[in-house]
Amino acid sequence: MARLERVLEFISRRSIRKGWLALVILFFLSFVIIPTIFVLTYAFTNWDAINSVVLSDPVKMTMITNAIINSFEIAGLVTLIDFMAGLPMAWIMVRKKFRGKALVDTLIDMPLVVPTAALGFSAALFWGIAPGDIVNPLGLGVVSSPLLLLILLHIVFSYPYMVRSLSAILEQIDQNYETAGRTLGASPLTAARTITLPLFRAGLVTGIILCLARSLSETGGTVIALATLSGSKGFNTGPTLIDGWKAIAQTTDPNYNAALAFVSILLIIIALVLMVLIRVVVKRVHLPMGKVWPRPEKLLSRGFFPKLKDSSTMVFLAVMVLLPSFFIFTCVFVFNPTSSGNWGGFGSSIIYSFTVAGVVTLVDLALGVPLALYIARGRSKRLPEVIDTMVNIPLIVPTAALGYSLSLFWVGGNAVNSDVGMLLVILAHIAFTYPLVVRNVTGAVEEVDPAFEETARTLGAKPIQAFRRVLLPMIKSSILAGAIMAFTRSLGETGATRAVVSNANTAPNFIVTLITKAPKDFYSAALACIILIAISYVLMLGLRYFTRRGKGAN
Amino acid sequence: MPSVRLEGVQKRYGDIHAADDLNLEVRDGEYLCLLGPTGAGKTTALRVVCGLTSLDSGKVFIDDKDVTDLEPERRGTALLSQTYSLFPQLTVAENILFGPDIHDLPEEERRRTLADMLDLVRLTKRPDAFPRELSGGMMQRTALARALASGAEVLLFDEPLRALDARLRISLRHELRSLAKSLKITVIHVTHDQDEALVMADRIGLIRNGHILQVGEPAQVYDNPISPFVANFVGQSNFVTGEIIDKGVKTTVKTESGMTVFARPCAMEVGEQVVVGVKIGNTEIAREGDSFFEGIVERVLFEGRNLHIDLLVEGTVHFSAKIPSWRLGKLASGDKVMIKWSPESASVFKMPEKGLREELRVE
Repeated sequence: MARLERVLEFISRRSIRKGWLALVILFFLSFVIIPTIFVLTYAFTNWDAINSVVLSDPVKMTMITNAIINSFEIAGLVTLIDFMAGLPMAWIMVRKKFRGKALVDTLIDMPLVVPTAALGFSAALFWGIAPGDIVNPLGLGVVSSPLLLLILLHIVFSYPYMVRSLSAILEQIDQNYETAGRTLGASPLTAARTITLPLFRAGLVTGIILCLARSLSETGGTVIALATLSGSKGFNTGPTLIDGWKAIAQTTDPNYNAALAFVSILLIIIALVLMVLIRVVVKRVHLPMGKVWPRPEKLLSRGFFPKLKDSSTMVFLAVMVLLPSFFIFTCVFVFNPTSSGNWGGFGSSIIYSFTVAGVVTLVDLALGVPLALYIARGRSKRLPEVIDTMVNIPLIVPTAALGYSLSLFWVGGNAVNSDVGMLLVILAHIAFTYPLVVRNVTGAVEEVDPAFEETARTLGAKPIQAFRRVLLPMIKSSILAGAIMAFTRSLGETGATRAVVSNANTAPNFIVTLITKAPKDFYSAALACIILIAISYVLMLGLRYFTRRGKGAN
Repeated sequence: MPSVRLEGVQKRYGDIHAADDLNLEVRDGEYLCLLGPTGAGKTTALRVVCGLTSLDSGKVFIDDKDVTDLEPERRGTALLSQTYSLFPQLTVAENILFGPDIHDLPEEERRRTLADMLDLVRLTKRPDAFPRELSGGMMQRTALARALASGAEVLLFDEPLRALDARLRISLRHELRSLAKSLKITVIHVTHDQDEALVMADRIGLIRNGHILQVGEPAQVYDNPISPFVANFVGQSNFVTGEIIDKGVKTTVKTESGMTVFARPCAMEVGEQVVVGVKIGNTEIAREGDSFFEGIVERVLFEGRNLHIDLLVEGTVHFSAKIPSWRLGKLASGDKVMIKWSPESASVFKMPEKGLREELRVE
């Protein structure tokens, strides 16, 4: 007891607290931020290599230009569609009550946690015209353009982000404004459009940035979808280009490192600039929303039209999001079972993935919660504000570029043995999951009145005791939610993993290999996807359980 | 029972002086009310005492020991915030035992403390209730018990009655004060409600812009305000400005509009520009009789026991009077009335440097 007392006394010293905080910030900078953007320095140190390998090679240049144009075209269109279909859905989820709402709510979240590799396979089989050996007769088989297929795929996993961001804001908007508008004679549509919609800006920024970032980042599902579509050879997005070249650089031609660095730099810079622009544009530019067309809007508010809007929203969810996600289950009945299935390999890849995700989550929690406290409780100071902004960077940077940058930082982009490889994969996953924990916990801590901890201090509690006994119970559910998000993201990540170690033995990578490398084994791939989806589903139920409980306690 | 002393405390947030050469002495076992308008630096003063706000300069003493650099948990000064900050995940009993748990007291002592405290604040029937199940008064009593159980000998109340409804607020004034007195603890009670301060305090400290203006017993602060601001903040006052033309057993002041008024004797010299302040309750109005000057009734507000009369008087901005409500019906807006007061009820102040209007401003 006395020893515990002494330990408490020791860690409560001001110098120790300051030291620990400095350590956390140092970790954040040197393990998260700097590795994420380290590749930018390559432009200064190795310009000659870039010049000779990339800029003077018109074939590579064309490939890079096309890939990047594809990436941003897909991301832009996907975000636009997400917004148009997501807005009425957010409205339904927040303002309407109907039977089965909880189920719809769960289904919308589903694609958030399922590894995109599994989604990519499922959606490609559903929409695409597959090469002869993997035709699933139940699939629609209507899409032959890789661009269109990727748009359809990216909608599946980015749509939930848009709906979540918009409904989070809508929940906070006082409905009384709209009611007041209605009592002053506005039709429901006019009131919603002129009063509530302009209040959406903050949610819109979050939603747009999340969708863009997710689409720009996505690698695993995209690689698989392209491999599952006949005639898509030579079509690339930024991340798939990195993915393909990384394998070449690691095995045959180290010269490709310069090309990799160049693509990564382009992706990072364009993504960051774009995000800043969006923030400015959405916040500053005011659309002339004040104009009112009473008669047509009144007409559109009545009878048939709202029903049409709601039902088409639901149909969109079912056809564009849910069916493509779950289509994979039909493959079990359609594909021929292969006897050569490498289930031992899949088992060990799942263990590998879980080990990585577990370690990553623990590190995120241990070093992310203190940083979140620092940000949330230091709002008025300069440094916490700066760190708060920096936390977003790894969320925005495409993970394939992040992964390449990180491997360049730690091992100079060279191939490594499998032990070091695992360590690198862990570091890469920490870099893009750490912000998720920090964001979640920061939000929760900001909701808690600092008076609670302060009162505890004046009642005799040391800072660590005030945290453990007072604050921690209040933010527990958000910490858990952040942890589960980090865990599922790590479990489902493909792009960063392959950019660090192109043959890392993670579960998503195992599936990618099954589909893209001979001998191809689609039956095993489909089963592996189903197993991954099942595991993710269980994790998501856990997530919902904890977040729900958090809400109930307030 | 410790005393508390602040010496030359400075605290700035950007351009705002939350504490500007703040000096305050609270005696052993004293109940001191810190009274001031919103944004005057009342809460900052409390947070400085318990160590939650660090100082730019100055010193804090508790029991004559310099505690300026001591952590909040070492000071024995429990803060009761406006919203009580009862820990929502803990029951009443667990909340009360927060301090003893932290200090790892033996089980026997803990049980005794809990029983004593529950008894003291009349919550023996609700130890297992959660804060959200309690009424405002009960929450407040729980917070008080929790502070006392932590062994704190100085209690810092930050607007403790603000969140309660009006009736309860008034009945709890007495209860809170007598509890503090019977336990002989030192209390600093922050409020912007002058009635509350007048009823509860041993002494009142008037604070404005992070600076203590006047400290004194309630009657002293009320009757002998040190400045027009204090005169107006503790019981509303009427003011006229003018020049001293005669002094002796009473001060004679001639206003700019040529009226002559009387006030109590003062230290200022003939010819000086001054402000004469008189509490609105001491302002007498009548239909006829001798008077200092005339006014016109602008508005009559019925307040139950009293009538509040707003008057139009030449050369003043606001002018009001409070008269017993049996005179309702005898005065109507538009009536001409004669205004006077007894000279000993009016104070004379130096003309403030920035003018009277700026002096009276409550931001």
